[in-house]
This record gives sequence, structure tokens and C-alpha cells, in this order.
Amino acid sequence: MQAPGNRAIGILASAVAFVSLACFAPQSYAVPSFARQTGLACEGCHTVFPELTPFGRAFKLNGYLIDNLPQVKGLTADNKEALLLNWLPPISIMFQTSYTSTSKALPDSGGTGNSQNGQVLFPQQASLFYAGRIAPNVGGFIQMTYAPEDGALVWDNTDIRFADHATVSGKDLTWGVSLNNNPTVQDPWNSTPAWQVPFDQRSSAAPTPAAATQIDGTLGGAVAGLTLYGYFANAFYAEFGGYRSAPQNFGGQVGAGPLDSAAENVVNGVAPYWRLAYEWQQDRSSWSVGTFGMNVELYPGAGAPLSGATNKYRDVAFDTQYQFIGDETIYSVQAVYINEKQTLDASFASGASTNQSDTLKTLRIGGSYYYQRKYGASLGYFSTTGSNDPLHYEQGTALTGSGSGSPDSKGWIGELNYVPWQNVKFSLQYTAYNRFNGGSSDYDGFGRNASDNNTVYLLGWFNF
Amino acid sequence: MKRHFLELLVATATLLVSVSAFSGEDAEMAKLATRVCANCHGPHGDSVSSAFPRLAGQQAAYTEAQLKTFKDKTRGDPYAQAYMWGMASQLDEDTIKRLGAYYAAQKPHPARKGDAARMAQGKSIYENGMPQAEVPACALCHGENAHGKDTIPRLAGQHPEYLVKQLVAFKSMQRANNPVMHSVTDKMSLEQIQAVAEFAASK
Repeated sequence: MQAPGNRAIGILASAVAFVSLACFAPQSYAVPSFARQTGLACEGCHTVFPELTPFGRAFKLNGYLIDNLPQVKGLTADNKEALLLNWLPPISIMFQTSYTSTSKALPDSGGTGNSQNGQVLFPQQASLFYAGRIAPNVGGFIQMTYAPEDGALVWDNTDIRFADHATVSGKDLTWGVSLNNNPTVQDPWNSTPAWQVPFDQRSSAAPTPAAATQIDGTLGGAVAGLTLYGYFANAFYAEFGGYRSAPQNFGGQVGAGPLDSAAENVVNGVAPYWRLAYEWQQDRSSWSVGTFGMNVELYPGAGAPLSGATNKYRDVAFDTQYQFIGDETIYSVQAVYINEKQTLDASFASGASTNQSDTLKTLRIGGSYYYQRKYGASLGYFSTTGSNDPLHYEQGTALTGSGSGSPDSKGWIGELNYVPWQNVKFSLQYTAYNRFNGGSSDYDGFGRNASDNNTVYLLGWFNF
Repeated sequence: MKRHFLELLVATATLLVSVSAFSGEDAEMAKLATRVCANCHGPHGDSVSSAFPRLAGQQAAYTEAQLKTFKDKTRGDPYAQAYMWGMASQLDEDTIKRLGAYYAAQKPHPARKGDAARMAQGKSIYENGMPQAEVPACALCHGENAHGKDTIPRLAGQHPEYLVKQLVAFKSMQRANNPVMHSVTDKMSLEQIQAVAEFAASK
């Protein structure tokens, strides 16, 4: 039983933690910019947005370069392309609005009673995109987003890439370099975290499990990476690169830095990233299997100097995706398993973790079915489990904390979709938690049960 | 050493260019086909998915005619609208002609035999037509080997599912720019369409 003062602090901290978690909720988008540039309907690149078809994956790996717009051209003296720019910029807008209701209302941030249940977000998110060709061999997917939790337009997913082709042993090699700000945002399959489907959209007004591996969206928006990739014979994919910290607005500073103890979780040096995958295609079916991962060393920062001991995270993941894209029916299954080994030298030394070494494992599997690209249903299971570490998984925080010090969360998600037009989607989603932040009942030590966070989420999603 | 390396590089490049020139392939069209068209129609026009037709070995004049109908939007079946209206919109006459020639020169997909009973039914329709329904024999225009001629398309080696979809589109007038094929398919059942498509594709 906690003292009332502690309870108020816990609730306030939970509100802060909740908002910061919501900022890094998985985000996935489809953009009419590409339709404008290519002249293709959304179905060219997407089964139903944001899931990519084989052509959508090829378009991405080709650097978003395929265009069917008149071009502004410039040539060098020896007749080489010096400029190739869409006559009209491929700009588009996304608007999402949502309604969220949890099984039990969330605690009031003022410390007494409960908040109003049935939260309307208008918008939940609104984004502006430039997506398409930038130069003869350079294209980009660039997104700026307004969300209520930010209260401002902030930089979102960005992938600027150079792409070209070579012929090796008589077969095509598509290769390129991606400059991006979220590990796996550059990946063409929807089984990796940045563009995971189904359930790419979750409510930002409902609590979500606190523990996540580094590669599972935790680093998104706070790093910049450069990776080199190759896709050979439409089957074999390999990518290698590294990420370095590039946080925005850290420590409340205005300006570009310097990057110092005011920032949190700063990458020491460069965090290597790797990805291998194989895709098999047969008529209307495609199946991919792959592995990816990264090694990250982080200085905790947040007042501590960026030197000395670090927390080390080694993420190794396996993923697979199966798609069948028929004229009338479409179905797909995606699964990912991420195993993270944590060596928390810095946190252990400062008393921020109970153990020096922890593990964290995430499994997600989900499937979707669509009829006529219009009526859809999805079902999925998720599980995150790991070492019990009371100091690491913050005790004493209502709603977002863990009373037991365990990161375990498990549950099911179901979703019904109605896509009246290819750029408009309505979703009704239900999330049921068997465990949340380590427990089924009284998981936070403040009397809240996992099932209290079961969420009904209604989303309206417009791309234009 | 550096000079020798450069000489070797130049010699290799010259050799590659010579080989390319000797093969007679239109390098510019090969590049366009590899970077753009192949994403749906497969390497050298041999597509994997039956959603997209195989272009390898197709009659040049037919490919050319279709690209023109995509460009002027007179071919309006759903996939044409979704994919090809955009893709063909910026193609000029010269590129359309050369793309047709490029794909005509590619090696066609080897034929695959289908279900025996359906093949027999399809063979009868393909070779003799359906006189009572006034459906002429397909072979009259598409040829005994289904290789087509000029603007009459090659059907041999095509995805049977793709042929079915096109025949259904002619029948329903979704693909309304070919009155001859509409009259041919108008009195055919789906079963007869599937049979003849399977037989034609197997040639």
C-alpha cells in the first residue's frame, strides 16, 4: 500500500511517461504522393495501405524513382542528367481522427478520481509528406507530423535514398544507400517494426506496454543512419549500416546542441545495423523470411556526462511474411521475434537497474483478410517477456509502471476494416491484455488490472 | 600499375559495349524495361504474377497498340486504369515502338499443359470455334500455334488466368475498345472461356 503522496507522484509520473511512450507509438503510412508521381492507383503499391505489394517493395528499393509526371530537366555539357525534378511536387496530406475507450477509465493526472473515458482525438495525427523523386537517382519519403501529444509539427519518418541497378551473372541487382531516422523504416517488408502490419495503428490515448526492444521503435526519431543495401534477382536482400544519435529538442534546449548530458540515451559511436532476407514469389503469392538486428551502446545521459560506462543492447530478430494478392481476396500473415540481450553496466553502476544483465523478447504474429480490398478483418497475438528487474522497469508509477518489476505483457488484438475508397480507411480495433507490465491483476501496484487497459479504438484515416 | 588498370578497365568496357552492340539489343529499352517494367512484368518480360501479362515474345505491333490505348485511355479495364494509364502517360511514339520491339525479341515463356479435360474442351473451341453460337475459331486470327500476328496478340505461354480475365473483360465491355473480341466472347460461358484460355496458353 502506497502513501497518498507517493500515489500522486506516481500518477503524475505515469502521465509524463504515457505521453512520452505515445510519441513513439508505431506509425505507418501510405502516401498519395506516390500515386501522383507514378499515376498508379494505391493498389499498385499496397494490398490495402500501408501493406506493400511486391511492386510496392520494388518501388521503394528503386528509390521511389519511378515517375510518370512531366519533368524539369537539366543536362551537363556531355549530355548527362544534372537535374530531374517533378514538374509538380509530390505532396500529400494524411489526417487521422480516433475514438478510444479503455475498459476502465485512466487515472486522473491530478491525483484524484479518473479521467473522462472515451477520448476523441481530432486529429490523432496529421502529416505532410514529400514522397518521390528528388534527383535522377535520389528519392525520398519525408514526413512531418502534428500530434496532440507533441502540440507542434515535428519531424517524423524520413528515408532519403540513392538507388541504381547493376547486372551480376546476368541477373538484376538493385542497390542503394538509405539515409533514414528510424531503424527498419527503410525496410521493404511489413514484418519489421517500423512498418509492421496488421495493427500498424494503435491508439495514442490508451496505455501501451512500457517495455520495448531498441530496434522495436525505441530509437525512432532520435537517430540518423546510413545503410547500404542490395536486392539480387528479386529474391536475396542484404543491408548493412550504422546509426548515430540525432535527437531533437533534447533537454528542452533550443537549437542544435551540443549533444551533452542534457540528452538521454545517447548512442556511443555508431550502432551497427544488419538485415538479410529472402523472398520467394509464385504467381499471386509471395513469402519472405529474414533476420535483422543491431548492437547499440547507450550513455544514459539525463544529467550524467556522456562518458564512462554504457548500457549495451544486442538485438537479433527473425521475421517472415506471406501474402496472397488475388483479384477478389487478399490475405497475409506477418510474424516477428526479437531477442534483446541487455548489459546494463551504466544503469547497474548508478542503481537504475537491479541486474547487470537482462533479456527482453518480443513476439508478434498477425494475419489479415480483405475482400475486394474493401472489407477486412485482422487478428493478432503479441507477447513481450523478459528478466524481472524492479529498478529498470520503474516501480511506483500508476498505469505505466510495473509493481512486480517485470516487463511482461501479452494479449490479443482484433480489427475490422472498411475501405470505401483506396485512400480512406475506417478501423474498429479491440485490444485485450492478458498481462500488462508484468501482471494480470494489480500490475502497477496501484490496483489496476491488465484487463482494465483493454481498448476499443475507432479510427478514421484519410490520405489525399 | 595504375595505367595498366585503366587500360584494362577501358578494354573491358569496350568489350561489354561491343557485346551489347553485337547482340543487337536496344540498350536504352533494356534499361527502361529492367528498371521500370520488370517490377510487374518480370525480367525480360517474363512475369511471375498472373495479374500482369507476360510480354516476352509478344507481337511488337500488339504491345505498341496496347501502350497507345493506355496512353490515350481507350483501354479501360480495371488493371489498365490502375497501372498502365499512369505508366504509359509520358511515353513518346518512339519509346512505345522500341519497347514493342524489345519485348518481341525476348524469349517467350515455355508453355505448360493444363487439366486434360479442360484442354480437350479448349482445343475444340480454339480450333473449331462454337458454330452454333456463332463463335469463330480462335486459330483463325491467333494462328494454329497461338503466336498471333501484327496487332493480334500471342497467347502461347501467357498466364491462363490473365487470358481469362481479359476475355471476361471483353465480354463485360470493361475492355470496350475491341468490338470483335466482344462479339466473340459474348456468347461464351465462363467455363468455356477458362477452357480455351488454358488451351491457348499451353501452346
